[in-house]
Amino acid sequence: MFTIENGPDGVVVMAGRLDSGHSASAQSFFDRLRGAVTVDCRGLEYISSAGLGVLLKTQKQLMGSAGKLRLVGVNRHLCDIFRYSGFDQIFEIEPFE
Amino acid sequence: MGAATPIRHLSARDLEPILAVASKLAAPFDLDTMLGEVVSAARHVLDADRASVWLHDAATDELVLEMSGDLGTVRMPAGKGIAGSCFRHRRLINVADCHADERFDPSMDRRTGYRTRCMLSLPLIDHKDVLVGVLQVLNKASGVFDEDDEALATVLAAQCAVAIQRVRMMEALVDGELLRQELEIARSVQLGTLPATMPAVPGYDVHGRFKPAGLTGGDTFDLQLVDQGLLVVLGDATGHGMGPALTVAQMQAMLRMAFRLGADLDTAFKQVNNLLSETLPADRFICAFIGLLDPGAHCIRFHSGGHGPILVFRAASGDFEVHRPTSFPVAAMRLPELRVAATLEFAPGDVLILISDGLTEYRDPAGEEYGHARIHEVLRQHRGKTTSELADLLLESMHAFARGAPQEDDVTIVLIQREMPRPAAVSSFERSLDSLEAIFGFIAATFASQGIDASLRPPVEFAVEELFTNMVKYGKASEAEVRLGLTRIPGGVEATLIDDDSDPFDINQVPDANVDLPIEQREPGGLGIHLVRRMVDSIEYEYREELRQTRISFRKTLKGPSGPGAAKKGGGHVHD
Repeated sequence: MFTIENGPDGVVVMAGRLDSGHSASAQSFFDRLRGAVTVDCRGLEYISSAGLGVLLKTQKQLMGSAGKLRLVGVNRHLCDIFRYSGFDQIFEIEPFE
Repeated sequence: MGAATPIRHLSARDLEPILAVASKLAAPFDLDTMLGEVVSAARHVLDADRASVWLHDAATDELVLEMSGDLGTVRMPAGKGIAGSCFRHRRLINVADCHADERFDPSMDRRTGYRTRCMLSLPLIDHKDVLVGVLQVLNKASGVFDEDDEALATVLAAQCAVAIQRVRMMEALVDGELLRQELEIARSVQLGTLPATMPAVPGYDVHGRFKPAGLTGGDTFDLQLVDQGLLVVLGDATGHGMGPALTVAQMQAMLRMAFRLGADLDTAFKQVNNLLSETLPADRFICAFIGLLDPGAHCIRFHSGGHGPILVFRAASGDFEVHRPTSFPVAAMRLPELRVAATLEFAPGDVLILISDGLTEYRDPAGEEYGHARIHEVLRQHRGKTTSELADLLLESMHAFARGAPQEDDVTIVLIQREMPRPAAVSSFERSLDSLEAIFGFIAATFASQGIDASLRPPVEFAVEELFTNMVKYGKASEAEVRLGLTRIPGGVEATLIDDDSDPFDINQVPDANVDLPIEQREPGGLGIHLVRRMVDSIEYEYREELRQTRISFRKTLKGPSGPGAAKKGGGHVHD
C-alpha cells in the first residue's frame, strides 16, 4: 500500500511503502512538481532503493527550477537508509519527533 | 570453619547432617520456631529421645524452659540443678545415670511422667562469648553418651547458640530505624552485583531472575561471558540481613575477578571457598552453584557447594534429571582436595534449572511448602517458551500458590536453555515486482509466528526486496519462481533466497556506491547492494552451476554490526 497526494499548504503527503512496485507512480507524481517542495513523510513506513532513485531524480529536476525537496517527519529506519546512502548530504531531512 | 576445638572423632559422614542442621538454623525463624529446630536437630544428630533448651533470663538470673503443650513454663535459679551447674561453670556435663547424681532435680520427671536416664548438658555460648542458656539432650537410644557424642554436641551447641542469639537480637532490633538503614545499604550492594542485562549466548537462551524478600535475604546470581565460557552462578548465603547480603556480593566479586584473571573452574571454586572460609564468621556459608557453560561443546562443568537439587529438563523425553551438590557449602570449611567437577550435556531444548530455596520452601497460609513438583509442572506445561517467559510463569505459579502468604526469603531463578533448531518457513513467489506485497505479507506472518523481534523487520524487508528485485531484473526470461526461506536464529533471523534459473552473479563482488559525490554526479540506482550490506550482519552467495541455482543468505540480529540504533556512518569509503 502506497499513497502520494497533495496535502494542505502545498505539502506533498507520502504514506505507506515506497517499494519497487510503486516507484513508477511516485515518479510520475513528482515529475509534475516545480520549485521548493516539502514532503510529509510521517506516514511513510518503508522505502527501497528504487524509491531512493525516485527522490534523487526528483531532486535533480527541482534544482533545475531553483527548487529542492525537503523531507519532514522521517522515521528512524528511513533516517538510517538516508544516512547509509549519503542522502542526508543532498536532502534536507527532518526526523520524526 | 572457625571451631577452635579439634574434634578427633568427627568423621566426614558426621559433617553432612551438621551442615544440614546449620543450614536450617540459618532460616528466618522466630524464637519459638528456632528453639523447635534446635531441639529436633539435637535429637537427630545425637540419636537421643528428648532435648530441651533452657534460656537465660538476665533480668532475674533464672533459667527458663518453655515446655510443649500445656505444661507451661519452668523457671529456676540459674545455679540450680545440673543445668544450673553447666551454666555457671560454662562446661559440658555428661551424666550416665541422673537419678544417682545429687545435682539432679527429680521433680521435673515427676511433673512430666518421664524417666530421665542419661543426660548431656551443654552451655550455649555464641561467637561473641555470650552465654545464652543450656542445651540438654536426654536418653540416648543406645546406651549412654560417649566422647564422640560430646564432640558432636559441642559443635552443634555452638551453632545453636549463634542461631538463638541472632534471632533474639533480630527480634529486638528489627523494628529499629538504624538497623533498617543498614539493611538497605547492604541490600543495595547486593542488588548492585546482579547482571544488568542477560548475555547473548549463541544457540542458548539464558535468563536470571531475582525477587528479593523485603530487606532481608542473601541470594545472588550471575550470568557473565568470560574467556572460559558463560559463567553461571546461583548463590544463597545463610542467614538474613546485612551479613548474607554482603557475603554474596563478596563471593560474586571474587568469582568474576578469578575468571577474568583466567582461572579454571576448579581453581576458582577452591580459592574463593578457602578465602571466604577464612574470613567469614563460623555460622556463615553460601550454598552456591558455580559453572562454566561451553556453548560450542554444549556442556556445562560445575561445582555445586551445597546447592541442590539441580534440575535438568530433558526435552527429548520430557523427564527431569536431579543432580546432587558436588561439595560442601562454600566457606563452610577449607577444601584441601576437590572432587572432579560434574558435567552436564545439553541436547536441543534441554533446560538447566537452578532455583533458590526461597521458592521451594515458600509456605502457603496452611504451612505447605511450594516444593519441586510445581516447578516440574510449570516446565512441562510450557515447554518451548523462552527462559524469560518461564521465569515469569514460575513466579506467577508461586504467587498463586502463596494465596497472600508473605515471601520470607529471596527467590532466585537461573534458567539455561539450549535452543531448538527451528524449521525454516519457506514460500515461493512469481518472478515479478507484483509479488512484493505477498513477500512482505509472508515476512510479517513469519516474524509473528516464529516470534522474531519486530524491530528487525524493516531492514529484513529492505534486503529481501533488493535481492528479489535483482533476481526479477536479471532473470526476465525465466518463468521459474523464486523461493524465500526465513529461520529464527538466536537474537534474530536468517533469510535465504533461491533462484533456480539464473546466471552467476556474485553480489559480494559488487563495489560499494560512492555516496560522498555531489548530487550532480549521483545517479539513481546502484545503491541496493550497498545498503543491504550496511543493514544486515552478513551475506553469503552461492552458485551451483549444474542446477543454475543461486542461493543468497543473510543474517540479521539485534546484536549485529548495524543493529537498531547502531551509529554507523553510511559514507562510501570504497570508491568505484
